[in-house]
Amino acid sequence: MVNLFRPGKPSPRLERLRNLSLFVNLTPAELRIVDGLLHERDYLEGEVIFDEGDEGQAIYIVASGEVLICRPRQGDARRLAQLGAGTFFGELALLDDSPRSAQARAASACQLIVFFRDDFVGLLDTHARIASKILRELARHLGARMRAMAQAAGADQQLL
Amino acid sequence: MSAPIKLAGVPGRGNRGSGPVVWAAIIAATCLLLVLFQKVLWFVVPFLLALILYYFLYPPVKVLIYRGMSREAAASLAILLFLGLVTAVGISLTPWVAGQLADGQDVVSRYMQGGLQLLDRSLRKLEAHWTTLANARLADTVAARLAQSAGGVADHLEPILIGIMAWTPSLLLAPFLAFFFLRDGHRFQRFLGAAVPNAFFEKTLYLLHRIDRTSRAYFQGLINLTVLDTVTLAAGLWLLGLPGPLALGLICAVLAWVPYVGSILGGLLVVLVAATDFPDAPHMAYWAIALFVMVRLLDDFVYMPLTIGKSLALHPLVTVLMIFVGGAVAGVAGLMLVLPVLGVVMVIGETIGVIVTDPRLRARHRHAQALRRKYASSDL
Repeated sequence: MVNLFRPGKPSPRLERLRNLSLFVNLTPAELRIVDGLLHERDYLEGEVIFDEGDEGQAIYIVASGEVLICRPRQGDARRLAQLGAGTFFGELALLDDSPRSAQARAASACQLIVFFRDDFVGLLDTHARIASKILRELARHLGARMRAMAQAAGADQQLL
Repeated sequence: MSAPIKLAGVPGRGNRGSGPVVWAAIIAATCLLLVLFQKVLWFVVPFLLALILYYFLYPPVKVLIYRGMSREAAASLAILLFLGLVTAVGISLTPWVAGQLADGQDVVSRYMQGGLQLLDRSLRKLEAHWTTLANARLADTVAARLAQSAGGVADHLEPILIGIMAWTPSLLLAPFLAFFFLRDGHRFQRFLGAAVPNAFFEKTLYLLHRIDRTSRAYFQGLINLTVLDTVTLAAGLWLLGLPGPLALGLICAVLAWVPYVGSILGGLLVVLVAATDFPDAPHMAYWAIALFVMVRLLDDFVYMPLTIGKSLALHPLVTVLMIFVGGAVAGVAGLMLVLPVLGVVMVIGETIGVIVTDPRLRARHRHAQALRRKYASSDL
Protein backbone atom coordinates (compact mmCIF):
# COMPACT_ATOMS: atom_id res chain seq x y z
CA MET A 1 0.00 0.00 0.00
CA VAL A 2 1.27 3.45 -0.86
CA ASN A 3 1.96 5.52 2.23
CA LEU A 4 1.27 9.08 1.21
CA PHE A 5 2.58 10.42 4.49
CA ARG A 6 5.89 8.53 4.36
CA PRO A 7 8.72 11.06 4.63
CA GLY A 8 10.69 10.93 1.39
CA LYS A 9 14.45 11.14 1.11
CA PRO A 10 15.51 14.73 1.80
CA SER A 11 16.77 16.51 -1.31
CA PRO A 12 20.27 18.03 -1.36
CA ARG A 13 18.61 21.40 -1.02
CA LEU A 14 16.84 20.28 2.18
CA GLU A 15 20.07 18.78 3.48
CA ARG A 16 21.77 22.11 2.93
CA LEU A 17 18.97 23.91 4.77
CA ARG A 18 19.22 21.48 7.68
CA ASN A 19 22.89 22.37 8.06
CA LEU A 20 22.02 26.03 8.62
CA SER A 21 22.05 26.93 12.31
CA LEU A 22 18.61 28.57 12.21
CA PHE A 23 16.91 25.40 10.94
CA VAL A 24 19.05 22.81 12.68
CA ASN A 25 16.20 21.43 14.82
CA LEU A 26 13.62 21.09 12.03
CA THR A 27 12.45 17.69 10.79
CA PRO A 28 12.46 16.97 7.03
CA ALA A 29 8.68 17.60 6.85
CA GLU A 30 9.12 20.90 8.68
CA LEU A 31 12.07 21.84 6.46
CA ARG A 32 9.92 21.18 3.40
CA ILE A 33 7.37 23.70 4.64
CA VAL A 34 10.03 26.29 5.44
CA ASP A 35 11.74 25.65 2.10
CA GLY A 36 8.55 26.73 0.33
CA LEU A 37 8.92 30.15 1.97
CA LEU A 38 12.57 30.87 1.24
CA HIS A 39 14.10 32.91 -1.58
CA GLU A 40 17.60 32.71 -2.99
CA ARG A 41 19.58 35.76 -4.14
CA ASP A 42 23.03 36.12 -5.69
CA TYR A 43 25.18 39.17 -4.91
CA LEU A 44 28.47 40.30 -6.39
CA GLU A 45 31.39 41.54 -4.29
CA GLY A 46 30.68 45.09 -3.16
CA GLU A 47 26.95 44.97 -3.80
CA VAL A 48 24.78 46.45 -1.05
CA ILE A 49 22.33 43.94 0.43
CA PHE A 50 20.56 46.44 2.64
CA ASP A 51 21.29 49.89 3.98
CA GLU A 52 21.42 51.19 7.48
CA GLY A 53 18.00 52.78 8.14
CA ASP A 54 16.07 50.52 5.75
CA GLU A 55 12.94 49.01 7.18
CA GLY A 56 13.87 45.42 7.96
CA GLN A 57 11.66 42.97 6.11
CA ALA A 58 13.70 39.79 6.10
CA ILE A 59 16.45 37.76 7.68
CA TYR A 60 19.38 36.76 5.43
CA ILE A 61 21.21 33.46 5.73
CA VAL A 62 24.61 33.12 4.06
CA ALA A 63 24.55 29.99 1.89
CA SER A 64 27.97 30.69 0.35
CA GLY A 65 30.47 33.55 0.23
CA GLU A 66 31.01 36.30 2.80
CA VAL A 67 29.07 39.35 3.93
CA LEU A 68 30.41 42.49 5.57
CA ILE A 69 28.40 44.35 8.22
CA CYS A 70 29.44 48.01 8.61
CA ARG A 71 28.18 51.55 9.28
CA PRO A 72 29.58 53.80 6.53
CA ARG A 73 26.80 56.40 6.86
CA GLN A 74 27.76 57.34 10.41
CA GLY A 75 31.30 58.09 9.33
CA ASP A 76 32.32 54.82 10.94
CA ALA A 77 33.84 52.70 8.19
CA ARG A 78 34.94 49.96 10.61
CA ARG A 79 33.67 46.54 9.84
CA LEU A 80 31.37 45.37 12.60
CA ALA A 81 31.44 41.79 11.46
CA GLN A 82 32.31 39.58 8.53
CA LEU A 83 29.99 36.60 8.19
CA GLY A 84 30.59 33.34 6.40
CA ALA A 85 28.50 30.45 5.12
CA GLY A 86 25.90 29.06 7.55
CA THR A 87 25.56 32.29 9.55
CA PHE A 88 22.69 34.74 9.36
CA PHE A 89 22.15 38.47 9.76
CA GLY A 90 19.31 41.01 9.87
CA GLU A 91 17.56 38.68 12.30
CA LEU A 92 15.82 41.47 14.21
CA ALA A 93 13.65 41.97 11.12
CA LEU A 94 11.88 38.73 12.00
CA LEU A 95 10.75 40.32 15.25
CA ASP A 96 9.76 43.85 14.27
CA ASP A 97 9.99 46.41 11.46
CA SER A 98 12.56 48.64 13.10
CA PRO A 99 15.20 50.24 10.85
CA ARG A 100 18.33 48.24 10.03
CA SER A 101 21.10 49.21 12.46
CA ALA A 102 23.94 48.72 9.96
CA GLN A 103 24.66 48.20 6.29
CA ALA A 104 25.18 44.72 4.85
CA ARG A 105 27.40 44.40 1.81
CA ALA A 106 28.72 41.38 -0.06
CA ALA A 107 32.39 40.93 0.90
CA SER A 108 32.72 38.38 -1.90
CA ALA A 109 30.37 36.95 -4.48
CA CYS A 110 27.77 35.25 -2.31
CA GLN A 111 24.49 33.41 -2.34
CA LEU A 112 21.96 34.34 0.34
CA ILE A 113 18.77 32.66 1.49
CA VAL A 114 16.08 35.19 2.39
CA PHE A 115 13.28 34.55 4.86
CA PHE A 116 10.61 37.24 5.01
CA ARG A 117 8.97 38.43 8.20
CA ASP A 118 5.49 38.09 6.73
CA ASP A 119 6.19 34.46 5.90
CA PHE A 120 7.51 33.92 9.40
CA VAL A 121 4.43 35.57 10.93
CA GLY A 122 2.29 33.30 8.75
CA LEU A 123 4.29 30.35 10.03
CA LEU A 124 3.62 31.43 13.62
CA ASP A 125 -0.11 31.32 12.85
CA THR A 126 -0.18 28.07 10.91
CA HIS A 127 2.79 26.05 12.17
CA ALA A 128 3.58 27.38 15.63
CA ARG A 129 5.79 24.37 16.36
CA ILE A 130 8.13 25.13 13.44
CA ALA A 131 8.14 28.84 14.24
CA SER A 132 8.96 28.15 17.89
CA LYS A 133 11.93 25.99 16.90
CA ILE A 134 13.25 28.80 14.68
CA LEU A 135 12.60 31.35 17.41
CA ARG A 136 14.52 29.24 19.92
CA GLU A 137 17.56 29.22 17.65
CA LEU A 138 17.16 32.94 17.13
CA ALA A 139 16.96 33.53 20.89
CA ARG A 140 20.08 31.41 21.42
CA HIS A 141 21.90 33.44 18.79
CA LEU A 142 20.82 36.77 20.32
CA GLY A 143 21.74 35.52 23.80
CA ALA A 144 25.22 34.51 22.64
CA ARG A 145 25.67 37.90 21.03
CA MET A 146 24.56 39.70 24.22
CA ARG A 147 27.00 37.64 26.27
CA ALA A 148 29.79 38.47 23.85
CA MET A 149 28.94 42.17 24.04
CA ALA A 150 28.80 42.05 27.85
CA GLN A 151 32.15 40.29 27.95
CA ALA A 152 33.64 42.85 25.57
CA ALA A 153 32.29 45.70 27.71
CA GLY A 154 33.72 44.02 30.84
CA ALA A 155 37.12 43.66 29.19
CA ASP A 156 37.07 47.33 28.20
CA GLN A 157 36.27 48.34 31.78
CA GLN A 158 39.10 46.20 33.08
CA LEU A 159 41.43 47.90 30.61
CA LEU A 160 40.29 51.30 31.86
CA MET B 1 -3.74 47.62 6.18
CA SER B 2 -0.16 47.07 7.13
CA ALA B 3 2.00 49.65 8.73
CA PRO B 4 3.29 52.26 6.30
CA ILE B 5 6.80 51.80 5.04
CA LYS B 6 9.25 53.69 7.22
CA LEU B 7 12.68 54.67 5.98
CA ALA B 8 14.24 56.19 9.02
CA GLY B 9 17.68 57.66 9.33
CA VAL B 10 18.46 58.03 5.63
CA PRO B 11 18.55 61.54 4.15
CA GLY B 12 16.04 62.13 1.37
CA ARG B 13 14.07 58.97 2.12
CA GLY B 14 11.04 60.17 4.02
CA ASN B 15 7.77 58.33 4.41
CA ARG B 16 5.40 59.80 1.87
CA GLY B 17 1.80 58.77 1.98
CA SER B 18 -0.17 58.30 -1.21
CA GLY B 19 -1.00 61.73 -2.61
CA PRO B 20 -3.86 62.72 -4.91
CA VAL B 21 -1.82 61.82 -8.02
CA VAL B 22 -1.23 58.26 -6.83
CA TRP B 23 -4.88 57.90 -5.84
CA ALA B 24 -6.06 59.26 -9.18
CA ALA B 25 -3.80 56.71 -10.89
CA ILE B 26 -5.14 53.93 -8.62
CA ILE B 27 -8.77 54.79 -9.44
CA ALA B 28 -8.01 55.16 -13.16
CA ALA B 29 -6.16 51.81 -13.21
CA THR B 30 -9.05 50.15 -11.35
CA CYS B 31 -11.58 51.48 -13.88
CA LEU B 32 -9.39 50.42 -16.81
CA LEU B 33 -8.99 46.93 -15.38
CA LEU B 34 -12.74 46.65 -14.80
CA VAL B 35 -13.42 47.55 -18.44
CA LEU B 36 -10.82 44.99 -19.57
CA PHE B 37 -12.15 42.32 -17.21
CA GLN B 38 -15.66 42.88 -18.50
CA LYS B 39 -14.39 41.92 -21.96
CA VAL B 40 -12.93 38.63 -20.69
CA LEU B 41 -15.57 37.68 -18.14
CA TRP B 42 -15.44 34.07 -19.41
CA PHE B 43 -12.01 33.94 -17.80
CA VAL B 44 -12.32 36.41 -14.92
CA VAL B 45 -15.33 34.71 -13.27
CA PRO B 46 -13.76 31.22 -13.15
CA PHE B 47 -10.50 32.85 -12.07
CA LEU B 48 -12.28 34.53 -9.14
CA LEU B 49 -14.08 31.30 -8.24
CA ALA B 50 -10.75 29.49 -8.42
CA LEU B 51 -9.24 32.05 -6.03
CA ILE B 52 -12.14 31.52 -3.60
CA LEU B 53 -11.67 27.75 -3.88
CA TYR B 54 -7.91 28.15 -3.43
CA TYR B 55 -8.27 30.15 -0.22
CA PHE B 56 -10.93 27.70 0.98
CA LEU B 57 -8.72 24.64 0.40
CA TYR B 58 -5.39 26.23 1.33
CA PRO B 59 -5.61 25.49 5.12
CA PRO B 60 -6.30 21.72 4.68
CA VAL B 61 -3.54 21.50 2.05
CA LYS B 62 -1.09 23.05 4.52
CA VAL B 63 -2.14 20.52 7.16
CA LEU B 64 -1.53 17.66 4.71
CA ILE B 65 1.90 19.03 3.79
CA TYR B 66 2.74 19.35 7.46
CA ARG B 67 1.73 15.70 7.95
CA GLY B 68 4.43 14.77 5.45
CA MET B 69 2.56 14.72 2.13
CA SER B 70 4.18 16.32 -0.90
CA ARG B 71 2.64 19.58 -2.11
CA GLU B 72 1.53 17.95 -5.38
CA ALA B 73 -0.20 15.06 -3.59
CA ALA B 74 -1.82 17.38 -1.04
CA ALA B 75 -3.19 19.70 -3.74
CA SER B 76 -4.46 16.74 -5.79
CA LEU B 77 -6.12 15.12 -2.76
CA ALA B 78 -7.79 18.37 -1.67
CA ILE B 79 -9.19 19.05 -5.16
CA LEU B 80 -10.29 15.44 -5.62
CA LEU B 81 -12.08 15.44 -2.26
CA PHE B 82 -13.78 18.71 -3.13
CA LEU B 83 -14.85 17.43 -6.56
CA GLY B 84 -16.03 14.19 -4.94
CA LEU B 85 -18.10 16.15 -2.45
CA VAL B 86 -19.61 18.33 -5.20
CA THR B 87 -20.37 15.22 -7.27
CA ALA B 88 -21.98 13.46 -4.29
CA VAL B 89 -24.14 16.51 -3.51
CA GLY B 90 -24.99 16.80 -7.23
CA ILE B 91 -26.02 13.14 -7.49
CA SER B 92 -28.12 13.30 -4.33
CA LEU B 93 -29.86 16.44 -5.60
CA THR B 94 -30.36 15.14 -9.16
CA PRO B 95 -33.83 13.57 -8.57
CA TRP B 96 -35.09 16.76 -6.93
CA VAL B 97 -33.58 19.02 -9.65
CA ALA B 98 -34.97 16.76 -12.39
CA GLY B 99 -38.40 16.98 -10.79
CA GLN B 100 -38.14 20.76 -10.59
CA LEU B 101 -36.96 21.04 -14.21
CA ALA B 102 -39.77 18.78 -15.46
CA ASP B 103 -42.35 21.28 -14.33
CA GLY B 104 -39.88 24.19 -14.23
CA GLN B 105 -42.08 26.53 -16.23
CA ASP B 106 -45.04 25.84 -13.93
CA VAL B 107 -42.93 26.38 -10.80
CA VAL B 108 -41.55 29.69 -12.05
CA SER B 109 -45.04 30.80 -13.15
CA ARG B 110 -46.44 29.86 -9.76
CA TYR B 111 -43.82 31.84 -7.86
CA MET B 112 -44.15 34.83 -10.22
CA GLN B 113 -47.90 34.72 -9.76
CA GLY B 114 -47.50 34.49 -5.99
CA GLY B 115 -45.27 37.56 -6.02
CA LEU B 116 -47.65 39.52 -8.23
CA GLN B 117 -50.61 38.63 -6.01
CA LEU B 118 -48.71 39.81 -2.93
CA LEU B 119 -47.85 43.08 -4.67
CA ASP B 120 -51.45 43.56 -5.75
CA ARG B 121 -52.80 42.81 -2.27
CA SER B 122 -50.30 45.16 -0.65
CA LEU B 123 -51.10 48.00 -3.07
CA ARG B 124 -54.85 47.56 -2.53
CA LYS B 125 -54.30 47.72 1.22
CA LEU B 126 -52.37 50.94 0.73
CA GLU B 127 -55.15 52.30 -1.47
CA ALA B 128 -57.66 51.50 1.31
CA HIS B 129 -55.67 53.70 3.70
CA TRP B 130 -54.57 56.47 1.32
CA THR B 131 -57.29 58.06 -0.81
CA THR B 132 -54.68 59.72 -3.05
CA LEU B 133 -53.36 56.31 -4.06
CA ALA B 134 -56.93 55.02 -4.50
CA ASN B 135 -57.77 57.95 -6.76
CA ALA B 136 -54.67 57.25 -8.82
CA ARG B 137 -55.78 53.59 -9.11
CA LEU B 138 -52.20 52.58 -8.24
CA ALA B 139 -52.87 48.82 -8.00
CA ASP B 140 -54.56 48.64 -11.40
CA THR B 141 -51.93 50.80 -13.07
CA VAL B 142 -49.04 48.70 -11.67
CA ALA B 143 -50.82 45.43 -12.58
CA ALA B 144 -51.40 46.66 -16.14
CA ARG B 145 -47.78 47.79 -16.53
CA LEU B 146 -46.44 44.46 -15.18
CA ALA B 147 -48.77 42.43 -17.43
CA GLN B 148 -47.60 44.54 -20.37
CA SER B 149 -43.87 44.11 -19.69
CA ALA B 150 -43.66 40.66 -18.10
CA GLY B 151 -44.43 38.56 -21.17
CA GLY B 152 -44.36 34.79 -20.97
CA VAL B 153 -42.23 32.88 -18.45
CA ALA B 154 -40.57 31.02 -21.31
CA ASP B 155 -39.31 34.36 -22.66
CA HIS B 156 -37.35 34.86 -19.43
CA LEU B 157 -36.33 31.26 -18.84
CA GLU B 158 -34.81 30.69 -22.24
CA PRO B 159 -31.98 33.26 -22.01
CA ILE B 160 -31.23 32.14 -18.44
CA LEU B 161 -30.92 28.49 -19.48
CA ILE B 162 -28.82 29.39 -22.53
CA GLY B 163 -26.61 31.56 -20.29
CA ILE B 164 -26.10 28.69 -17.83
CA MET B 165 -25.20 26.30 -20.66
CA ALA B 166 -22.80 28.83 -22.18
CA TRP B 167 -21.07 29.47 -18.85
CA THR B 168 -20.74 25.84 -17.72
CA PRO B 169 -17.54 25.00 -19.67
CA SER B 170 -15.73 28.10 -18.45
CA LEU B 171 -16.90 27.50 -14.86
CA LEU B 172 -15.34 24.04 -15.05
CA LEU B 173 -12.03 25.92 -15.32
CA ALA B 174 -12.33 26.97 -11.66
CA PRO B 175 -11.27 23.69 -9.95
CA PHE B 176 -8.60 23.19 -12.63
CA LEU B 177 -7.12 26.65 -11.92
CA ALA B 178 -7.49 26.18 -8.16
CA PHE B 179 -5.45 22.98 -8.35
CA PHE B 180 -2.55 24.79 -10.01
CA PHE B 181 -2.81 27.71 -7.57
CA LEU B 182 -2.52 25.21 -4.71
CA ARG B 183 0.30 23.26 -6.31
CA ASP B 184 2.42 26.02 -7.83
CA GLY B 185 1.32 29.21 -6.04
CA HIS B 186 4.52 29.43 -3.98
CA ARG B 187 6.64 29.01 -7.14
CA PHE B 188 4.85 31.98 -8.71
CA GLN B 189 5.93 34.29 -5.89
CA ARG B 190 9.52 32.99 -6.16
CA PHE B 191 9.38 33.35 -9.93
CA LEU B 192 8.27 36.98 -9.65
CA GLY B 193 10.81 37.66 -6.90
CA ALA B 194 13.63 36.17 -8.98
CA ALA B 195 12.85 38.57 -11.82
CA VAL B 196 13.33 41.62 -9.61
CA PRO B 197 16.78 43.26 -9.25
CA ASN B 198 18.43 42.88 -5.83
CA ALA B 199 18.01 46.56 -4.95
CA PHE B 200 14.20 46.39 -5.22
CA PHE B 201 13.84 42.83 -3.98
CA GLU B 202 12.78 43.46 -0.37
CA LYS B 203 10.30 46.16 -1.31
CA THR B 204 8.83 44.08 -4.14
CA LEU B 205 8.45 41.00 -1.97
CA TYR B 206 6.82 43.21 0.63
CA LEU B 207 4.40 44.33 -2.11
CA LEU B 208 3.67 40.72 -3.12
CA HIS B 209 3.06 39.80 0.49
CA ARG B 210 0.67 42.69 0.92
CA ILE B 211 -1.23 41.71 -2.22
CA ASP B 212 -1.39 38.10 -1.03
CA ARG B 213 -2.46 39.23 2.44
CA THR B 214 -5.09 41.59 1.02
CA SER B 215 -6.60 39.04 -1.36
CA ARG B 216 -6.38 36.21 1.20
CA ALA B 217 -8.13 38.33 3.81
CA TYR B 218 -10.73 39.45 1.25
CA PHE B 219 -11.62 36.00 -0.07
CA GLN B 220 -11.44 34.25 3.31
CA GLY B 221 -13.56 37.12 4.66
CA LEU B 222 -16.00 36.52 1.81
CA ILE B 223 -16.22 32.82 2.68
CA ASN B 224 -16.77 33.64 6.37
CA LEU B 225 -19.36 36.27 5.46
CA THR B 226 -21.20 33.77 3.27
CA VAL B 227 -21.28 31.22 6.12
CA LEU B 228 -22.52 33.84 8.62
CA ASP B 229 -25.19 35.13 6.21
CA THR B 230 -26.32 31.60 5.36
CA VAL B 231 -26.62 30.55 9.01
CA THR B 232 -28.44 33.74 10.07
CA LEU B 233 -30.87 33.69 7.13
CA ALA B 234 -31.47 29.95 7.43
CA ALA B 235 -32.20 30.29 11.16
CA GLY B 236 -34.61 33.17 10.53
CA LEU B 237 -36.38 31.41 7.63
CA TRP B 238 -36.62 28.21 9.67
CA LEU B 239 -38.21 30.13 12.55
CA LEU B 240 -40.69 31.65 10.08
CA GLY B 241 -41.47 28.16 8.80
CA LEU B 242 -40.44 28.69 5.16
CA PRO B 243 -39.48 25.60 3.16
CA GLY B 244 -35.79 24.84 2.40
CA PRO B 245 -34.36 27.49 4.75
CA LEU B 246 -30.73 26.35 4.35
CA ALA B 247 -30.83 26.29 0.54
CA LEU B 248 -32.59 29.67 0.42
CA GLY B 249 -30.12 31.14 2.91
CA LEU B 250 -27.15 29.85 0.90
CA ILE B 251 -28.53 31.16 -2.41
CA CYS B 252 -29.15 34.60 -0.89
CA ALA B 253 -25.70 34.66 0.73
CA VAL B 254 -23.99 33.79 -2.57
CA LEU B 255 -26.11 36.34 -4.46
CA ALA B 256 -24.94 38.95 -1.93
CA TRP B 257 -21.41 38.63 -3.41
CA VAL B 258 -22.69 41.13 -5.97
CA PRO B 259 -23.18 44.33 -3.94
CA TYR B 260 -26.71 45.82 -3.91
CA VAL B 261 -28.08 43.97 -6.96
CA GLY B 262 -27.39 40.55 -5.42
CA SER B 263 -29.01 41.52 -2.12
CA ILE B 264 -32.14 42.80 -3.87
CA LEU B 265 -32.40 39.60 -5.93
CA GLY B 266 -31.96 37.47 -2.81
CA GLY B 267 -34.62 39.43 -0.95
CA LEU B 268 -36.99 39.14 -3.92
CA LEU B 269 -36.46 35.38 -4.02
CA VAL B 270 -37.30 34.97 -0.32
CA VAL B 271 -40.41 37.16 -0.65
CA LEU B 272 -41.61 35.23 -3.72
CA VAL B 273 -41.25 31.92 -1.87
CA ALA B 274 -43.06 33.27 1.20
CA ALA B 275 -45.86 34.85 -0.87
CA THR B 276 -46.41 31.71 -2.96
CA ASP B 277 -46.11 29.02 -0.30
CA PHE B 278 -48.32 30.96 2.12
CA PRO B 279 -50.86 32.66 -0.20
CA ASP B 280 -53.41 33.12 2.59
CA ALA B 281 -50.90 34.53 5.06
CA PRO B 282 -49.44 37.72 3.57
CA HIS B 283 -47.86 38.53 6.91
CA MET B 284 -45.33 35.74 6.16
CA ALA B 285 -44.02 37.72 3.20
CA TYR B 286 -43.83 40.87 5.34
CA TRP B 287 -41.96 38.92 8.04
CA ALA B 288 -39.61 37.59 5.34
CA ILE B 289 -38.96 41.17 4.18
CA ALA B 290 -38.35 42.26 7.80
CA LEU B 291 -35.97 39.33 8.30
CA PHE B 292 -34.11 40.16 5.12
CA VAL B 293 -33.74 43.85 6.05
CA MET B 294 -32.54 42.83 9.51
CA VAL B 295 -29.95 40.45 8.09
CA ARG B 296 -28.77 43.13 5.62
CA LEU B 297 -28.31 45.59 8.51
CA LEU B 298 -26.53 42.93 10.55
CA ASP B 299 -24.42 42.18 7.50
CA ASP B 300 -23.50 45.81 6.83
CA PHE B 301 -22.81 46.87 10.41
CA VAL B 302 -21.55 43.70 12.13
CA TYR B 303 -20.56 40.86 9.78
CA MET B 304 -18.99 42.90 6.97
CA PRO B 305 -16.68 44.95 9.27
CA LEU B 306 -15.73 41.70 11.04
CA THR B 307 -14.86 39.87 7.83
CA ILE B 308 -14.26 41.75 4.57
CA GLY B 309 -14.17 45.28 5.97
CA LYS B 310 -10.95 44.67 7.89
CA SER B 311 -9.23 43.07 4.91
CA LEU B 312 -9.20 46.00 2.51
CA ALA B 313 -8.99 48.80 5.08
CA LEU B 314 -10.77 51.13 2.70
CA HIS B 315 -12.52 54.27 3.86
CA PRO B 316 -16.30 53.59 3.84
CA LEU B 317 -16.89 56.60 1.55
CA VAL B 318 -14.30 55.32 -0.95
CA THR B 319 -15.89 51.85 -0.77
CA VAL B 320 -19.39 53.13 -1.58
CA LEU B 321 -18.19 55.53 -4.28
CA MET B 322 -16.08 52.86 -5.94
CA ILE B 323 -19.00 50.40 -5.93
CA PHE B 324 -21.03 52.97 -7.87
CA VAL B 325 -18.08 53.68 -10.19
CA GLY B 326 -17.62 49.93 -10.74
CA GLY B 327 -21.29 49.52 -11.58
CA ALA B 328 -21.21 52.48 -13.98
CA VAL B 329 -18.03 51.31 -15.72
CA ALA B 330 -18.65 47.56 -15.99
CA GLY B 331 -22.21 46.81 -14.88
CA VAL B 332 -22.90 43.83 -12.61
CA ALA B 333 -19.38 42.46 -13.22
CA GLY B 334 -17.99 45.81 -12.10
CA LEU B 335 -20.07 45.71 -8.91
CA MET B 336 -18.70 42.30 -8.08
CA LEU B 337 -15.07 42.95 -9.03
CA VAL B 338 -14.50 46.54 -8.00
CA LEU B 339 -13.50 45.98 -4.36
CA PRO B 340 -10.96 43.17 -4.80
CA VAL B 341 -9.48 44.90 -7.87
CA LEU B 342 -9.25 48.22 -6.03
CA GLY B 343 -7.63 46.51 -3.02
CA VAL B 344 -4.90 44.96 -5.15
CA VAL B 345 -4.34 48.05 -7.35
CA MET B 346 -4.16 50.20 -4.21
CA VAL B 347 -1.35 48.08 -2.73
CA ILE B 348 0.55 47.98 -6.05
CA GLY B 349 0.14 51.73 -6.62
CA GLU B 350 1.26 52.71 -3.14
CA THR B 351 4.30 50.44 -3.16
CA ILE B 352 5.42 51.28 -6.70
CA GLY B 353 5.16 54.94 -5.68
CA VAL B 354 7.56 54.26 -2.80
CA ILE B 355 10.03 52.27 -4.95
CA VAL B 356 10.11 54.63 -7.92
CA THR B 357 10.55 57.76 -5.79
CA ASP B 358 13.37 56.34 -3.64
CA PRO B 359 16.69 57.77 -4.95
CA ARG B 360 18.81 55.48 -2.76
CA LEU B 361 17.22 52.31 -4.16
CA ARG B 362 17.75 53.56 -7.71
CA ALA B 363 21.38 54.43 -6.90
CA ARG B 364 21.94 50.95 -5.44
CA HIS B 365 20.45 49.40 -8.56
CA ARG B 366 22.77 51.44 -10.81
CA HIS B 367 25.72 50.42 -8.65
CA ALA B 368 24.76 46.73 -8.89
CA GLN B 369 24.38 47.04 -12.68
CA ALA B 370 27.86 48.62 -12.92
CA LEU B 371 29.30 45.78 -10.82
CA ARG B 372 27.67 43.18 -13.05
CA ARG B 373 28.94 44.86 -16.22
CA LYS B 374 32.43 44.98 -14.74
CA TYR B 375 32.22 41.32 -13.70
CA ALA B 376 30.92 40.27 -17.11
CA SER B 377 33.86 41.88 -18.90
CA SER B 378 36.55 41.18 -16.31
CA ASP B 379 38.35 38.48 -18.31
CA LEU B 380 37.89 39.97 -21.78
